[in-house]
Amino acid sequence: MAAAVSRRLCGLLRPLSVSLCSRTPMICQRAALSLQQAGPPRLLGAPLGAPACQQARCSLLHRVSALVPSLLQQPNRSLTYYSVKKGKNKSVRSVKDRFLRLHCGLWIRRKAGYKKRLWKKNPARKKRLREHVFCNKTQSKLLDKMTTSFWKRRNWYLDDPYVKYQDRVNLKF
Amino acid sequence: MSFPKKPGGKAFEILKTLPRITLANLRPEPGSQKEGKRRGRGQHGGNRSGRGHKGERQRGTRPRLGFEGGQTPFYLVIPKYGYNEGHSRRPQYQPLSLKHLQYLIDLGRIDPTQPIDLTQLVNARGVTVQPLKRDFGVQLVDEGADIFAAKINIEVQRASETAIAAIERNGGVITTSFYDPISLGILIKPVPFFTRGQPIPKRMLPGEDMVPYYADADNRGYLADAAKIQQARLALAQKYGYILPDISKDKLYHMLAMRKDVRQIFFGLSPGWVVNMPEKKILKPTDEKLLKYYNS
Repeated sequence: MAAAVSRRLCGLLRPLSVSLCSRTPMICQRAALSLQQAGPPRLLGAPLGAPACQQARCSLLHRVSALVPSLLQQPNRSLTYYSVKKGKNKSVRSVKDRFLRLHCGLWIRRKAGYKKRLWKKNPARKKRLREHVFCNKTQSKLLDKMTTSFWKRRNWYLDDPYVKYQDRVNLKF
Repeated sequence: MSFPKKPGGKAFEILKTLPRITLANLRPEPGSQKEGKRRGRGQHGGNRSGRGHKGERQRGTRPRLGFEGGQTPFYLVIPKYGYNEGHSRRPQYQPLSLKHLQYLIDLGRIDPTQPIDLTQLVNARGVTVQPLKRDFGVQLVDEGADIFAAKINIEVQRASETAIAAIERNGGVITTSFYDPISLGILIKPVPFFTRGQPIPKRMLPGEDMVPYYADADNRGYLADAAKIQQARLALAQKYGYILPDISKDKLYHMLAMRKDVRQIFFGLSPGWVVNMPEKKILKPTDEKLLKYYNS
């Protein structure tokens, strides 16, 4: 729908601005998106108005959207308990991208900042940051709640570097 | 003493005089069913109804899981790393230990006088393969290599060197072969496939990355040279320190030498044939183009 709106916008603009829009279609589309978010009635009223002021608005939005693109796309971080299509739980994608669950229940992660500003960190600190670390009990319970049972299954990958860590050994309690 | 005892006895006679069982006559065993908590009723369920005192907890406006009051939450502070990258493209092989294989043979669930295939293993409920979970077959694992004592002709998808040595030491034959996911699904459940009425498809050749494995004689790959496999058998026997038994003088030599064609899925059935289960007939294609396709 946003794409159709942006196409309509570009089509109604004058030849001068058409060339501008054709060179930067992405920014034009994003401009249309932001206009929609700002206020649909304004957008519907505007197209048949003065194309010159539209030109000015388009360029202003180009400048603004280049500086603050995050305003146009807000992330959705909630956990879905009943999905719309299947009515099932969903996993949080960010957890899948950052953590690895071993079959024994432990979660592995990287240390935050292991590739940032390394020039100012001493070698011992860099070595500590390079290590892969376990998560503690509360963190593991949180991550288990954020993922479905598919991520908890036993996997037998070929040449898996984590195969020997999937089971606990010599654990006494 | 001489009277034959009636089965059930007195209880049966009493049961004959009782009325018919209806819903009105039935009741669960006292103490078997526990009543659920009823909130908002009585001294214990009422008042705040188990929700605590004021705040987001009582009012049901707690934020989403993982939220830390606006501070970047733990699960976002940690940088991304490709732990799970491409996990759905990684082949998986269900492990089968030699100990378990020996157990199945000893119990009679697997017949060592016939070639052992993935179909036989699944029929014997020795392994469970799920092609939809990126399983590409079965791998033989070292565990139980020292106690293994069975002469078999086995075909798996991956095998460790120790497992190959253990099988050949006992005079058996092992082959590693590749099954693409569709062929694998057909192989593990042949009867549902036959009821579908489709012709048996050709087994596809392995992808680029797997061809070197299956063309290598050390892995007993099905694409490798027969002469090189014989040399590899001798070399392995020398490495592990056992005398390689000569299978050509064996009674079951014919069975041990049975191997599938590169494009074949089942022993005795060629690609292109249609199996009619209810009428117990096999239909073979006669058209030239079909024959050319299925024989290529």
